[in-house]
Amino acid sequence: MLGQVIISGILSGALYAMVALGLGLIFGVMRVINIAHGPLLMLGSYTTYFLYAHFGINPLLTVPIAMAVLFVVGVLLQRGLVFRVVDAPELSSLLLTFGISIMLVNLAQLAFTSDLRAVEYITGSWLVGGLAFSKPRMIAFVFAAAVTALSFLVLKFTRLGKAIRATSQSREVAMVCGVDVGRIHMLTFGFASALAAAGGALLAVIVAIQPEMGGVWTFKSFLVIVLGGAGNYPGALVGGLLLGLVEQVASLFLTTQLSEVVAYVLLVLVLLVRPSGLLGGRQT
Amino acid sequence: MAAAILSVLAALAAYPVVGTGYGVRSVQQIFMWIALAGSWNLISGLTGYVSFGHVAFFGAGAYAGAILVASAGWPWPLAALAGGAAAVVLAVVIGYPCLRLKGPYFAIAMLGLNEVLRALVSYFEGLTGGGNGLSLPTLDASVPIYYVMGVLAVVVTAMSWLIVTSRFGLRLMTIREDEVAAEAMGIDTFHHKLAALLLSAVGPGVAGALMARDQGYIEPISVFPLAITVTMIVMALFGGKGTVFGPVLGAAALFVAQEIVWARYPYVHPLLFGAIIVGVVLLMPRGVLGLLQQRYRLPRTI
Repeated sequence: MLGQVIISGILSGALYAMVALGLGLIFGVMRVINIAHGPLLMLGSYTTYFLYAHFGINPLLTVPIAMAVLFVVGVLLQRGLVFRVVDAPELSSLLLTFGISIMLVNLAQLAFTSDLRAVEYITGSWLVGGLAFSKPRMIAFVFAAAVTALSFLVLKFTRLGKAIRATSQSREVAMVCGVDVGRIHMLTFGFASALAAAGGALLAVIVAIQPEMGGVWTFKSFLVIVLGGAGNYPGALVGGLLLGLVEQVASLFLTTQLSEVVAYVLLVLVLLVRPSGLLGGRQT
Repeated sequence: MAAAILSVLAALAAYPVVGTGYGVRSVQQIFMWIALAGSWNLISGLTGYVSFGHVAFFGAGAYAGAILVASAGWPWPLAALAGGAAAVVLAVVIGYPCLRLKGPYFAIAMLGLNEVLRALVSYFEGLTGGGNGLSLPTLDASVPIYYVMGVLAVVVTAMSWLIVTSRFGLRLMTIREDEVAAEAMGIDTFHHKLAALLLSAVGPGVAGALMARDQGYIEPISVFPLAITVTMIVMALFGGKGTVFGPVLGAAALFVAQEIVWARYPYVHPLLFGAIIVGVVLLMPRGVLGLLQQRYRLPRTI
């Protein structure tokens, strides 16, 4: 039983980590909490659904396509709207991204209706030594782990990644060192949207797709960031796995209704006890 | 100014005598939105801490009031006050951990609060009726509720005016402009933010309980919809956040617009609200009243 819980927790934890890394990057680089992060994930899911239902493309192949599409959407949002509030008080950026998120959800409702959509691709589980590995979740885990690992490699070793990290440490100093900060903001927003889209594309084979599916992901991504420590990118990994495990353990003892509350209680507890995150984030 | 306000209030007080049932119900709705938008403005407009879940206080008040009326047999005016008290208790529980920190923590915590309450209400079926909802004994009190809702709108607006013109209000606005500076000047920012949140929870709590009594039936989806939060934010922003009469203006203008125009296009309506939020934040962050204040050099305290 415990082994099963740990496996399920890790499987969903990788997805949390990947999606939350996107939210964390935007926050780190721009000091903007993107309320529209979950709705961007929802658009990723619909991209996969659309490509699968209308063109019969294998859902796994749609992951990079969804990422590319949402990268463009993210860049456009940043260039069109979000860049105006990067230096504004927090109130403005929160309200702006909240407005964007409402618009995205309702546009999706107009375009795709509220009907539940499903991508039926792989179902069932692999049984290994008495433990069940859900096939779609296992595949999602492998993809999410790969994308997250790749993201960390990019952040760690490439010039772009270094510029992103430099900008999130100090925008002024990065600027003085010749980093085109405006461009970094734009690329980061696009990259973060692509991470959300990857999450959405992978979720498409696991859960039902509907316009309001994203809301809870904004919240959970934020929780992962808080758990890992804001501004601490590897913290997203720890936070994601932790959230996955806690949710799974809670589902052992609680009814479905109450296990939705667990993430919330966790957020309040962390804010009470260790507001700088479990690993200790950079204080801002 | 005072004469104008008094004559408007007198006209509204006389309205139920001549108005139709639909008209009375509509004006009562405007009162409710004034109370909700004005309350949101107290925490978010004055301190800059955005509440994305103010409907949680509304719903908590609605359930507290409805349970007291339906199960304990309380008279509804008393239950409405209890609804306000329940919302304040909720505000303490949520404000204490989340307002100690600067930054977006409060905003996100409020974003999730709504879902949590909905889950809890569905779980404690014995008390709340769960997903089946809760029916109140039938009672036609729409005219008395009209007056009480009107008083609530006046009280919330008067409270905003008292706060904006007081040292307490100045401290709240200092927190909004620069929290570190506010702390350096010796303002106990945490307790000021918490006090603002508590004050801003009362109105929605009372309004929720009144709405429950008026409708006679509540269920989780009817009292915890995100749409209520969105509407009060849009109204306060459009009218002018951080002003006293901005939420009043926004609530009245957008409610009328909603009834006349947007009711015909129900699907476009929430999309428009999102667009208004984006537009106001980018193009006129001080709202309509803020623009008027700037252009005609009106006093800051309206």
